[in-house]
Amino acid sequence: MTRRVVITGIGIIAPGAKDTAAFWDNCLAGRAAVSPIPPHWRHYAEFTSTIWAPLPVLDYPALGLSRVELMQLDPSSMLALCAAQQALDSARIDRAVKNEKKNTFALEGINAERTAVYCGSGIGGLTSLIAAQANHVVSPLAKAFSLVQQQLALDGAHGPAQTVLADAGKSIRMPQRFNPFIVSMTMPNAISANIGIKYSLFGPNTTVCCACSAGTVAIGNAFTAVRAGLADCALCGGAEFLGDDFGGIFRGFDIAHTLVNLGEDPACANRPFDKRRSGFLFAEGGAAMLVVEELSHARNRGAPIVAEITAFAESFDGHNIMMMDPSAVHIRRMLGTLVTNAGLDFSDIDYVNAHGTGTTANDEIEARVILDCFGQKPLVNSTKSLIGHTIGAGGAIEAAVTALSIKNKTTHACKNLDEPIADLNFVRRVETFPIKKAVSQSFAFGGHNAGLVLEEYTEEAAA
Amino acid sequence: MEIAGTDALIMERMTKVISDVLKPGSQPITLDKRFKEDLGADSLDIVSLLMALEEEFHTQISDEEAARFTTVGAVFDYVKVKAAQKAS
Repeated sequence: MTRRVVITGIGIIAPGAKDTAAFWDNCLAGRAAVSPIPPHWRHYAEFTSTIWAPLPVLDYPALGLSRVELMQLDPSSMLALCAAQQALDSARIDRAVKNEKKNTFALEGINAERTAVYCGSGIGGLTSLIAAQANHVVSPLAKAFSLVQQQLALDGAHGPAQTVLADAGKSIRMPQRFNPFIVSMTMPNAISANIGIKYSLFGPNTTVCCACSAGTVAIGNAFTAVRAGLADCALCGGAEFLGDDFGGIFRGFDIAHTLVNLGEDPACANRPFDKRRSGFLFAEGGAAMLVVEELSHARNRGAPIVAEITAFAESFDGHNIMMMDPSAVHIRRMLGTLVTNAGLDFSDIDYVNAHGTGTTANDEIEARVILDCFGQKPLVNSTKSLIGHTIGAGGAIEAAVTALSIKNKTTHACKNLDEPIADLNFVRRVETFPIKKAVSQSFAFGGHNAGLVLEEYTEEAAA
Repeated sequence: MEIAGTDALIMERMTKVISDVLKPGSQPITLDKRFKEDLGADSLDIVSLLMALEEEFHTQISDEEAARFTTVGAVFDYVKVKAAQKAS
């Protein structure tokens, strides 16, 4: 008999939202997180795109992280840990202190050896490496720079050279020390490892690195493991932190012309699936973690069931490292496999949470694929229209939105969608929508395509 | 906050750092306590402690100085000297 896999807990940290409730409120209210990029980034380069979606200020000690963890963890791990705790709370899984010094716990009512961790990320702890590298490279230069300034001051020199030096001095930013924990901060697998350590979980533990589809694949891997009996429970999702101190990661996307142009109004610049779209809104980061369980495991402990996962599929374009294959042949194949694996037809799907980045090419291809495969019936929206693109966390946040949309029988509108590029059933306003079967899909740099089918949980097995 | 203030204030801040990092439980943090033998610190704890002390007192601790930090008292003496240097 097929093991059924259900979502019992959700934790989200996203631009503009510190927790799942705030995030969902923002979604339904259409509140987007858009701000000018940090002013000091402009010391280093001229940017074409000048807005981003910043994270809220997070009080990590209040969220349970210790002084030592603040020094030793990359923000991607901190975001993942905070989202994981939210997910455990909402799944009603309690914890007991295991080691006070290490700030670790054991989960109650869970077989730790049968609990897995799968987390997606695009860049892992790269921002920590950038900070350490700044200290490594800039420290001797900063000392020399300081000496030159002091000498010029002693010489009583006043002129253009001093002005240039003073301006250049403003661009020198580096952490006080080269962090001795930089290796374990940078390695991408630190994210899932830190979750496994924090909660003493001994099942399979993997960080998935496939850019924008990483969160979707991580949840898919958890679904596959639980369905196959390799685990009974999993913490899964995605986490990303892209806000390095110098805007270097932002610049990488900006120089590749993938980011949104400012337009006449920053609040309206990010507009997936609209004819006036110009690129994606770069997000500082985010995380979404889900608790997924085998159904009887969830039932036995009286867990609240949000939705059921009934299929996962993935494919690879084999086309271009930064561009979707315009024919989308392998996306179509992936989606066909996906709905078939769920025992469904395309016509059964009520809602598609699209990848919906807002780039000219991607939205064009995705809209055509949705129309060709699913037709005009399903509701379609882009969560990135609200929070921008969180890369490795995006697929997980969108799977969470899909689950919440099923659970709450409504979903959010496509922000800034005035002139749709295709005749699809885009969500234009928040209403009651009886969503029972839904797809969340992601397509990544590299060519990684992935999708999940989520369904309303009923006592009887889905199709 | 820079290194400054009375010995009592320095001791209070230093004790908080040591307590945050090493979590010695009911073990009182006194000047004679040895980090490894008495307060249960391992080598990674010592690195974390040095980082936390640097952060707390806005200073940089060299490897030579760090090698002398075997007891709470040694750290206290170090911070006091740094505070005096700063004041002068």
